[in-house]
Amino acid sequence: MKTRTVCIIITLLVLCTAAVWCLSVMRPKSGKTAVISQNGKVLYRIDLSSEKDRTIEVTYEGRKNTIELQGGRIHMKCADCPDHICVDTGWLEDGKPIVCLPNRLVIEYENGDIDGTAR
Amino acid sequence: MKKKYAAVVLLTGVLMLNSCAANNSDSSKATVTDDIKSSGSVFAMDTYMTITAYGQNGKKGIEAAQKEITKLEKLWSVTDENSEIYTLDHSGGTEVPVSAETEELLNFAIDMHWQTKGALDITLYPVLRAWGFTTGEYCVPDDSEISALLECKGVERISVGNGKAYIPKNTEIDLGAVAKGCAGDAAAKALKEHGVTSALLDLGGNIQTIGDAKPDGTKWKVGIRDPFGEGSIGTLAVGECAVITSGGYERFFEKDGVIYKHILDPETGRPADSGLASVTVIGKEGRLCDALSTSLYVMGLDDACAYWRDSVDLEMILISDDGGVYVTEGIAENFSPKVENVTVIER
Amino acid sequence: MDTKKLTCLGLLTCLALIIFIVELRIPDIVPIPGVKLGLANIVTVYCVYNYRSAETAMMLYSRILLGALFSGNLMALWYSIAGGTLCFIGMEILKNIIREDNMWFLSIAGAVFHNIGQIAVAVLVLKSTSVIAYLPFLMISGCIAGLFTGLCAQMVSKRLKRARKVS
Repeated sequence: MKTRTVCIIITLLVLCTAAVWCLSVMRPKSGKTAVISQNGKVLYRIDLSSEKDRTIEVTYEGRKNTIELQGGRIHMKCADCPDHICVDTGWLEDGKPIVCLPNRLVIEYENGDIDGTAR
Repeated sequence: MKKKYAAVVLLTGVLMLNSCAANNSDSSKATVTDDIKSSGSVFAMDTYMTITAYGQNGKKGIEAAQKEITKLEKLWSVTDENSEIYTLDHSGGTEVPVSAETEELLNFAIDMHWQTKGALDITLYPVLRAWGFTTGEYCVPDDSEISALLECKGVERISVGNGKAYIPKNTEIDLGAVAKGCAGDAAAKALKEHGVTSALLDLGGNIQTIGDAKPDGTKWKVGIRDPFGEGSIGTLAVGECAVITSGGYERFFEKDGVIYKHILDPETGRPADSGLASVTVIGKEGRLCDALSTSLYVMGLDDACAYWRDSVDLEMILISDDGGVYVTEGIAENFSPKVENVTVIER
Repeated sequence: MDTKKLTCLGLLTCLALIIFIVELRIPDIVPIPGVKLGLANIVTVYCVYNYRSAETAMMLYSRILLGALFSGNLMALWYSIAGGTLCFIGMEILKNIIREDNMWFLSIAGAVFHNIGQIAVAVLVLKSTSVIAYLPFLMISGCIAGLFTGLCAQMVSKRLKRARKVS
């Protein structure tokens, strides 16, 4: 009888572990991966759902861009560029990458539901 | 005993052979090779362009397309002192030699000017500059300045032919309204020449696709930007085509409580106030869609619908200033809006 | 090995093969590749307790090879071999600790080991670790299917013993 109890407990443990694992596997699918690239080269690939709040600094020809991650969102906090379009773009959204043309910096989602946005 | 071994060896042999055969047939019909996704990006024509191509030839195709775009940018930039358009604008009324590509695009833009009854005008550049839309140093020019600048416009002043182009002194042209669309066509052609059968080009918001479906068999999903806020007002499922949107939200400034948008009405030299917030044109040719998205925006809802009724192979999505969405009947079924006030335009 | 044992093993292989082929006809309930009942495992579990490990291995591999041959799905063969081997080794070790009245647990453990083997091969074949994400789903389905086949094996074992006594 004792072995049976142990067996049942082990089985339940395995089931629970698997269930928790299942949930953790399914969760990041809803989260999104932001890609930060400069001049076509990928600098960072960030899973927004699991990333802690922080800032990332990127320099291009001596000019600096500060990217901020906050609560699963990402935006350009400040930039040493003349037009500040990247900062004005606001938080990153599907199909609308944050682009800093002078500093050749792009922040975009890896893959969303849609292939592109006409804008 | 020997017989036994022989049987085992034979059986294993047959299995191996079969599994090899099965493997081969699998990979030939499976989409594994077709699903290889390559992407590249270019900073050109004042925007960020990305190309995503599927299949083995993707990389080569993208390289060729990037080269093509960079080449065209060098021809048509208004700020690059070595470009043909810059040379033409600063020719001071003398004839300058132009490449076949420039000649073709100039002729196309002039054609479109007459077709759209003047709603598209590539000679509006000096006025656009006076408003500061070219540099970002915005200001509201006074009426006398605008009318003086409007004196110099007019596509009838341009003469193009035999590898040469001429514009009079004080007239300046800017191919901004058609260049990106044309570059998209050229890039798409380059991709196809390299055997790419499935690709999506995003030239700073101008979407052009190759192939009637993605490798997984589904249509391309293109979002249509919400002119009043963030995100999209809906998605459009399309095959091979160009989807190009123009709207006042792209570039504007505010002064003394008035919002000035960057699309100018060639007639008045002031921001077009046609009641439309954005115009999306869907068609086969990028340069046509690019030209029309701007000119239909200037025309307004009624004239745009009239233009559409007279055309073929063309579809559009119009969004009016009051938030109404108008979709032409040809694509109404493929459009999934996120908003409710959608009207279908019928022939 | 005497003739009687050989005949019995042959019959068991046949039985497993038939169950395997019949199960192929059952449409997939869950749209995850690799999720199935694995009814043929009833025979394997039965063998683990009633035959020596070498004999069980012979039965198992004959069944896997012939099954792949009959079903024509030879790509699945490598998955079956890897899964089957791991399952077999795991059950052979565990049978020393778990007695026959807890056969169901052995079967569950075997099913989970089978899944781990399958995923390992998938990682090697596809050269991508992303398939590991399937493992928890397979483990849950393995637990359920393993419990079912294990209880079946337990019943079969009980009845066969009774039958033997009678004869």
